[in-house]
Amino acid sequence: MSPLGLLSPGEKAEIMAINTKKGCGLGINKDQCGHIEDIGLRVGKTVEMLNNGGGGPILLRVDESRIALARGMAMRIMVEREVL
Amino acid sequence: MSLNPAQKYPDTIPAIDTGKVMGLKRPLTLAVAGNPNAGKSTLINALAGTRLQVGNWPGVTVEKKSASFEANGRKIHLIDLPGTYSLSPYTQEEIVARDYLVQEKPDVIIDVVDVTNLERNLYLTIQLLELGLPLVMALNVYDEALQKGYVVDIKGMEKMLGIRVIPTVATKKTGLDELLAAVTELADHPLPRSLKILRYDQDIESAAAVVAGHIQADHPQLAEKYPVRWLSFKFMEGDEQIIEETGLTPDDAAVTQAVDHLIKAHDSDIESIMADARYSLAAGLTQEVLKKPELRKIELTEKIDRIVLNRWLGIPIFLGAMWLMFKLTFDVSKPLADWLTAVTTGPGKRWAAALIALLHGPDWTASLVTDGIMAGVGSVLVFVPVIFAMMFFITFLEGSGYMARAAFVMDRAMHSIGLHGKSFIPMLLGFGCNVPAIYATRTLENTRDKALTALLVPLMSCGARLPVYIVFIGAFFAAHAGTVLWSVYVFGIGLAILMGLIFKRTLFRGEAPMFIMELPPYRMPSFRSLMIHTWEKGKHFLIKAGTYILAVSVLVWFLLNLPWGVTQKQDSYLGRLGQAVAPIFKPLGFGTWEASSALISGLVAKEIVVGTMGEIYVKRAEEEKKAAPPTLTEDLKEIGTSLVMALRNSATNVFSSFAPSSLSTAEDESRAGLKTAIQHTFTPLSAYAFILFVLLYMPCAVVAIAMRQEFGTWKWFGIAFGYQMVLAWTVAFVVYQGGRLVGLG
Ligand SMILES: Nc1nc2c(ncn2[C@@H]2O[C@H](COP(=O)(O)OP(=O)(O)OP(=O)(O)O)[C@@H](O)[C@H]2O)c(=O)[nH]1
Ligand SMILES: [Mg+2]
Repeated sequence: MSPLGLLSPGEKAEIMAINTKKGCGLGINKDQCGHIEDIGLRVGKTVEMLNNGGGGPILLRVDESRIALARGMAMRIMVEREVL
Repeated sequence: MSLNPAQKYPDTIPAIDTGKVMGLKRPLTLAVAGNPNAGKSTLINALAGTRLQVGNWPGVTVEKKSASFEANGRKIHLIDLPGTYSLSPYTQEEIVARDYLVQEKPDVIIDVVDVTNLERNLYLTIQLLELGLPLVMALNVYDEALQKGYVVDIKGMEKMLGIRVIPTVATKKTGLDELLAAVTELADHPLPRSLKILRYDQDIESAAAVVAGHIQADHPQLAEKYPVRWLSFKFMEGDEQIIEETGLTPDDAAVTQAVDHLIKAHDSDIESIMADARYSLAAGLTQEVLKKPELRKIELTEKIDRIVLNRWLGIPIFLGAMWLMFKLTFDVSKPLADWLTAVTTGPGKRWAAALIALLHGPDWTASLVTDGIMAGVGSVLVFVPVIFAMMFFITFLEGSGYMARAAFVMDRAMHSIGLHGKSFIPMLLGFGCNVPAIYATRTLENTRDKALTALLVPLMSCGARLPVYIVFIGAFFAAHAGTVLWSVYVFGIGLAILMGLIFKRTLFRGEAPMFIMELPPYRMPSFRSLMIHTWEKGKHFLIKAGTYILAVSVLVWFLLNLPWGVTQKQDSYLGRLGQAVAPIFKPLGFGTWEASSALISGLVAKEIVVGTMGEIYVKRAEEEKKAAPPTLTEDLKEIGTSLVMALRNSATNVFSSFAPSSLSTAEDESRAGLKTAIQHTFTPLSAYAFILFVLLYMPCAVVAIAMRQEFGTWKWFGIAFGYQMVLAWTVAFVVYQGGRLVGLG
């Protein structure tokens, strides 16, 4: 398992764990509870890294939607790379 | 006369026949709910012929809006709810949508689903179904699904969800009749099949049953008010808002036991258990009903994104796009603005004066109309082309999908000032008008971000400030008009960064927020929708010109001509007020009563600054009359030919946009009065200081109201007002005095 933030563009991976506060849904602080999973990023989902350059946010493809995500959050999501 | 439709029209009358008995049907209220960017507003516009704002980025509608229309003689009321991914109360949009649904109980919910993102959209659908209200699904963006080669089993979906599912293409008005038919039928015949309940795992359901039993037994009044099954879920989840609203406490041992049991069995918190249950249902359904082609094409959107979001190219592309936007704005509008100036100051004034003479109005009314209203409103109206051109480009940014990319690209830079990329969207909108920008802060997750963004938005130079810049730049920096104007905008942005840094360390300490946002696919906005939304944005300026600016112009005229019979304008009330304030502006290089009174009137709206100056510096009406006036036909001919010229020029400007000279302000006779007057009382340095002051001091009265509305208190506007005044003064002071020190005076 590795953090989502370390995938290179084009790589696909399955989400294994989202390491955020328990009991407060799924976000990192209270205000973002739920948000990350409501938008479609959940354990078991396969995502594709579309853009991962420099220190800015990353861009993922989840099904047919493109989700931009802060790098800090991406580092707390653990994934298993898809073997081709 | 009030009829109970249920009595008059029993179920035996098929829905198709309802047209025959029109006018007697009970009006319907339909709530339109769905994910952000699913096309809710587009659908409502298509159904009701309204012009609710549409844009290709998530979070366009932040407040519920309504629209009404009549179908088959029946009044239908549509409520456009803000887009949400879920019905948990974490964002303001979710709360708005949920409160409406739960409290107002619309007749039918139209659930707008973006079929290209079925799973995530169904997650919301499932939550909507928990409410137990009649629901019809509009399976929207169906065109794109077909294009991608998706096959959707609509019948299967209807069966599994127990609701009607109607494919629609809101942009092309396809499927709307079927949708309406399904909705009215459901409203008139609430059949039991529409109340099919989607069941979760047995253990969740039995826990919910225990809770529901508790609610029904101990709190019958709540069971009346809320859908019980939904309330039980919320109660189990420990939804703070609901617990507060209902006063429910988990005092019943049976309830706590049921929930504890669940938590133990799943080894997770209850909220995640519920979310998982809903999501697996959504995922399972999607798997059943949606067939995607084996091979996925790489879409155009992804190809464009590779370039536009590239690590090295992203920011240069963004800056280039902005530069092009400003440049095109002025190139297109300049000839038209010049034409309008010529018309309002020349023939317009002559005609008005002639008309008043014809009506035997006293002399002072002629002056009120020509020197007051026409000088005031007219000098603002001439900027309408610029403002519309600007709104056009902003509308294009919104409609194409690039807006969300700008947020992505700028995320990193925004972090340095304690905000994230999403805050960039309000700022970008602020270049058009600060008021919608303040409202757009609502999509931000928390009050800290909202307040900080709203405090910085006024530093984005809005369309209303342009008139002032253009007049002054035309008078002093005509040769470098483009550069100087650009510098003003950049100055605003630079100060926003600086203030952001300061605020981050003072008022807004604390964790920088996390950025999460969906980037929509690129779409080519249709010409029609571009025109409509440009007009919707720009018309506020016209309305302003006809209301505030008109009123202030009249007021300014009276203040300039009272006490009755003043000969020197500086002895008038306005002159005296200006004189009283002038010392404050003296160190900034514009301590004249004229400038001071113009700035005071500009507190209402920035355009008025030019209007007031126009009135103050206007040549006496008598002097103008001396020249032999051209005849009416001459006037009309002149207006016509010059309009043709102007249109031709703006068209050619677009194509020669890259030529360096196209932004220069051509000398025109008609504005010469104001221009020479300004040239007499300002120096280039003090003019620049004045421009910066106008950029920075309080934007307008409407922004004040918007901030009050958004935050429910005057506090944030108070802070904004205070810091902006101080900032405006300081910057103008530093620029003016600094400039003098280095010998620029
Ligand atoms: N291809 C296609 N595009 C659509 C359709 N319906 C809407 N759109 C586009 O989708 C984008 C979003 O539409 P809106 O109506 O603003 O979406 P909304 O659901 O109101 O979004 P929010 O207000 O942000 O929640 C716009 O660019 C529309 O032109 C459709 O059926 N097909
Ligand atoms: Mg909308």
